[in-house]
Amino acid sequence: MKKIEEINDEIREVLLEEGAEGIYKCYQCGKCTSICPWYQVDLYDFPVYRFSLETAMGMVASSEDKNELAQEIDKIYRCVGCEACVDQCPHGIDTPKILRAAKRLLVDFGSYPETLKSTVQKIKNVGNPFGEPIENRADWAKESGVPQFQEEMDYLFFPCCLPAYDPRNQKVARATAGILQQAEISFGILGTKEHCCGEVVRRIGAEQVFTQVCKANIKEFTTSGVTKVLVSSPHCFTTFKNEYPEFGADFETLHITQFLSKLIDEGAIKPAKEFNKKVVYHDPCTLGRKNGIYEEPRNILKSIPGLELLEVEDFNRNLSVCCGAGSGGLWMEWDKDERIVNVRLKQLIDTGADIIAVACPYCLQMFEETLKSMNSEIQVMDVTEILYEAL
Amino acid sequence: MKKTGVFVCHCGKNISSTVNIDQVVEEIGKNPNVTVCRDYKYMCSEPGQNLITETIKENKLERVVVACCTPSLHEETFRKAAESTGMNRYFLEIANIREQCSWVHSDMNKATPKAISLINSVVGKINLNNSLEPIKVPVTQKALVIGGGIAGIQAALDIANSGYKVTLVEKNPSIGGHMAQLSETFPTLDCSQCILTPKMVEAGKHENIELLTYSEVEDVSGNIGNFKVKIRRKAAYVDHDKCTGCGDCTEKCPTKVLSEFDEGLGKRKAIYSPFPQAVPNKPVIDKDNCLYFRFNGKCGICQKTCLLEAIDFTQQDRFIEDEFGAIILATGYDTYPKEKFREYGADKYLDVITGLQFERMVSASGPTEGEILRPSDQKIPKRVAFISCVGSRDPEHHMPYCSKICCMYNAKHAHLYKHQVPDGEAIVFTIDVRTAGKGYEEFFTRIKDHDNVLYVRGKPARVIKKGDKLVVWSYNTLTGRQLKLEVDMVVLATAIVPTAEAVVLSNKLRIQTDENGFFSEIHPKLRPVESMVPGFLLAGCCHSPKDIPDTVAQASAAASKALQMFSQPELSLDPQIAFVDPDVCSGCKLCVPVCPYEARIFNEKKRIVEVKEALCVGCGSCITACPSGATQQKNLQDLQMATMMEALLGS
Ligand SMILES: Cc1cc2nc3c(=O)[nH]c(=O)nc-3n(C[C@H](O)[C@H](O)[C@H](O)COP(=O)(O)OP(=O)(O)OC[C@H]3O[C@@H](n4cnc5c(N)ncnc54)[C@H](O)[C@@H]3O)c2cc1C
Ligand code: SF4
Ligand code: SF4
Ligand code: SF4
Ligand code: SF4
Repeated sequence: MKKIEEINDEIREVLLEEGAEGIYKCYQCGKCTSICPWYQVDLYDFPVYRFSLETAMGMVASSEDKNELAQEIDKIYRCVGCEACVDQCPHGIDTPKILRAAKRLLVDFGSYPETLKSTVQKIKNVGNPFGEPIENRADWAKESGVPQFQEEMDYLFFPCCLPAYDPRNQKVARATAGILQQAEISFGILGTKEHCCGEVVRRIGAEQVFTQVCKANIKEFTTSGVTKVLVSSPHCFTTFKNEYPEFGADFETLHITQFLSKLIDEGAIKPAKEFNKKVVYHDPCTLGRKNGIYEEPRNILKSIPGLELLEVEDFNRNLSVCCGAGSGGLWMEWDKDERIVNVRLKQLIDTGADIIAVACPYCLQMFEETLKSMNSEIQVMDVTEILYEAL
Repeated sequence: MKKTGVFVCHCGKNISSTVNIDQVVEEIGKNPNVTVCRDYKYMCSEPGQNLITETIKENKLERVVVACCTPSLHEETFRKAAESTGMNRYFLEIANIREQCSWVHSDMNKATPKAISLINSVVGKINLNNSLEPIKVPVTQKALVIGGGIAGIQAALDIANSGYKVTLVEKNPSIGGHMAQLSETFPTLDCSQCILTPKMVEAGKHENIELLTYSEVEDVSGNIGNFKVKIRRKAAYVDHDKCTGCGDCTEKCPTKVLSEFDEGLGKRKAIYSPFPQAVPNKPVIDKDNCLYFRFNGKCGICQKTCLLEAIDFTQQDRFIEDEFGAIILATGYDTYPKEKFREYGADKYLDVITGLQFERMVSASGPTEGEILRPSDQKIPKRVAFISCVGSRDPEHHMPYCSKICCMYNAKHAHLYKHQVPDGEAIVFTIDVRTAGKGYEEFFTRIKDHDNVLYVRGKPARVIKKGDKLVVWSYNTLTGRQLKLEVDMVVLATAIVPTAEAVVLSNKLRIQTDENGFFSEIHPKLRPVESMVPGFLLAGCCHSPKDIPDTVAQASAAASKALQMFSQPELSLDPQIAFVDPDVCSGCKLCVPVCPYEARIFNEKKRIVEVKEALCVGCGSCITACPSGATQQKNLQDLQMATMMEALLGS
């Protein structure tokens, strides 16, 4: 590190243009740093509070030394976009957004983690992060007889890439479709005509690719006559609801837990079978903190007979801790002792629950993968899977 | 046409940097109504005022327009100058070319013509002004003080000691306010009770002070100099004329509830006096918790105990009406509710307390008799964390402002703790430490140094329970390392906020508040103790967070403003108010309910509406309501407005 710091106004200007906002409001209190999930990972130090100041000084990704620069890039991509810091910052400073400005810069120069490059590339080419053929996107629905979306249908069900392709997550898609069928909801899927919502590419900093998939989806939705969309993933939810409108989208988006909670309230579905398990609900960052949906998933769980709902003391609702999968975290290969997911899983396991209930495909994937190498009996299920079993 | 002079002020560069003064003078000079137009760098200065008076005399001017800053700043200055030449003061008016022009524009090419039309509009209008005389009203030489904290007590004593009558209304059973709850006070560490109690006693006994505790202001009507006020005396269910304050009833009462005075750390009875030094030291019954009221006449032990037969369960709220010349608002503050800080576990952990709770804990008269014991297990905490800015300086979730006193009381608390627990450790978490005040920085430095108090620069994000400890999660932003600190007790410096009652009161009295709910002053620099409504004065924390020295200073200032009013036999009110043309008024009465100041009455005999001049403030509501145009504002009549509009918009 250079001993004398300088102000690099060129970098600063670019970062400001790329969307770094509010940096001058920061009074360096450090609250963001101790709320950040990395704070709980003992072996990794992540001083979030410096990003605003460093951006204002143009000191982000500015090192001329190769090793130092690599470290800086690693640091920037550590942020999993959980927005715990945004939630607690006295000035509401959006640090992940400030970091996204730096990420955009790095993506423009091609200097970002290889695994993320490949994820972005796959989404660009085939519309999903796994590089799976687009023709297989509707395979999960083959046996369950979910129809192709028609204009006269009420809802489009948009399952997210994970439930579409990943075998574990496909069960969630099937459970959700099953519930909707039982409730006689008029819905269909676009299947091979849909693309990844693009949330992750945007968070990685690949704005151009995001614009491309976003526009492709909007076009497809519009020509198919979609007016209401049900989504499984909070990431699709927030992107459709809060970000697509910038690009001219005009449809209503509902997260599946909002929709199902309402159906239960209205008596359209009645969980009747006992589910005699202790269940702890994990608030996904993007559903909870980002979009304020805390009660609906809990409502669903509470409506199930026999189910005992537990909370992670001290770490629930807006104080929930990220699973570590956001903003590309799912694809990052951090050292085993440097993973947020282990921290969160420990908190969840310590409640003594039999089952972790989630409402996000990323959390599901992240927990399932990690649990394989952990010595625990605990199971992970999506809220819809539990509900489906109880119907 | 009246001979009119126009005086254009540069206001240093405030006006002249955006308005081309030479061009203004040239253009205004062309207005056929204008006899003379002059400019000067600072018109409000003595040479500036002399320029005006000399020019008036020289040119025998009949009307004067000063183009300068807002009339609320210097209209009075210039009118006095004009009056000194024998001119009627209402023949001088201001054209505001600073706030309404130079300050809000940057393009000189556009600001200059705007300034010219603003001035021309006033020139046209003032030609039609009538000569007016101020309305004289007698002053009721008696003050009302609302709120009996140190601010209210000080203001009441100052007025009373000057020989005028004061009524002091306090909602609680005793006066004293928050200061009575404090232990020792920074920066001198004198005992709060010791310096406050003598003042409370003096206020309670003063022949010029009528003390109405357990009372609230219901309604205020009237105007500066003559307010009519209705006060509710809440039923105490104890006849205070008979009661000697022996305390037997309190001792025998079986009902215990959390004590407000002890901030929930201790208990009080259902019949209680809030603290031993209370003034008056006579109990009241808390109806919501009393068994007699809750269970239909069961209990009544206090009544049986009281040999003087002072307990009276049939008492009702009583109302008093009285008249006052000035009203001083001294309703103080609340502390921000700690339950809102879920991240600090303040909603569930007993050992996460507030600064005010800490004050009660270290007070000799407090629930632990001055011993620092943590609430959960009454053990002496060996490590205490003090967290600053809890709810202050947090525009996103809580209050945007700095509460001003907590940095100082944090230092005081750390000292009081170390004094009692010398082997304990006090850690103060801060963003920055603010010690602006006489002797304050010295106090802070001395405490850190003498008592080895550790200051950590970093705002903690969490307080988590671990066994019987609390873990404070923070990042030391100066050493650049995580600090996860196990402590026994956490003290939150919760923000100073306006009271809930102040909001109700501000609506009742039509007193403006700022965006945070504190009462607004009329001018932040030059008139800091007067509210926006004439006759209402401000003292203490109801105006902004303050320490005791500032509170007392402001209270004395408010008292002196009241005394200033009382020293005059009559008050002069602005005559630029509504009037009714008796020939035009149809007596439809539409304007009567519209007036917020109850200044309009229907004259049954003449069958027209008339204006009570002392009450009208010239707000103009009635004028818009009047369908026949009978109601007009003096010196702002329809024709004058049309003239102004013409100048501003072009004919
Ligand atoms: C933890 C803590 C420690 C502090 N330590 C110090 C210190 O060491 N040194 C120092 O200088 N300052 C200290 N202060 C600040 C000090 O408390 C204030 O400066 C002072 O109490 C302000 O007095 P006040 O009269 O304006 O308000 P208050 O003390 O709040 O008094 C207001 C009074 O008005 C009454 N009231 C409210 N509404 C109505 C109504 N509608 N009708 C009738 N009555 C009403 C209330 O019941 C109360 O009695 C401390 C503050 C805190 C929170
Ligand atoms: S919490 Fe907000 S103000 Fe505090 S250091 Fe972080 S970004 Fe800055
Ligand atoms: S968004 Fe989450 S991971 Fe990123 S800096 Fe903020 S708290 Fe840390
Ligand atoms: S009636 Fe009983 S409960 Fe009520 S104040 Fe008297 S002694 Fe206490
Ligand atoms: S006085 Fe100190 S602790 Fe209180 S709000 Fe201001 S800076 Fe924060």
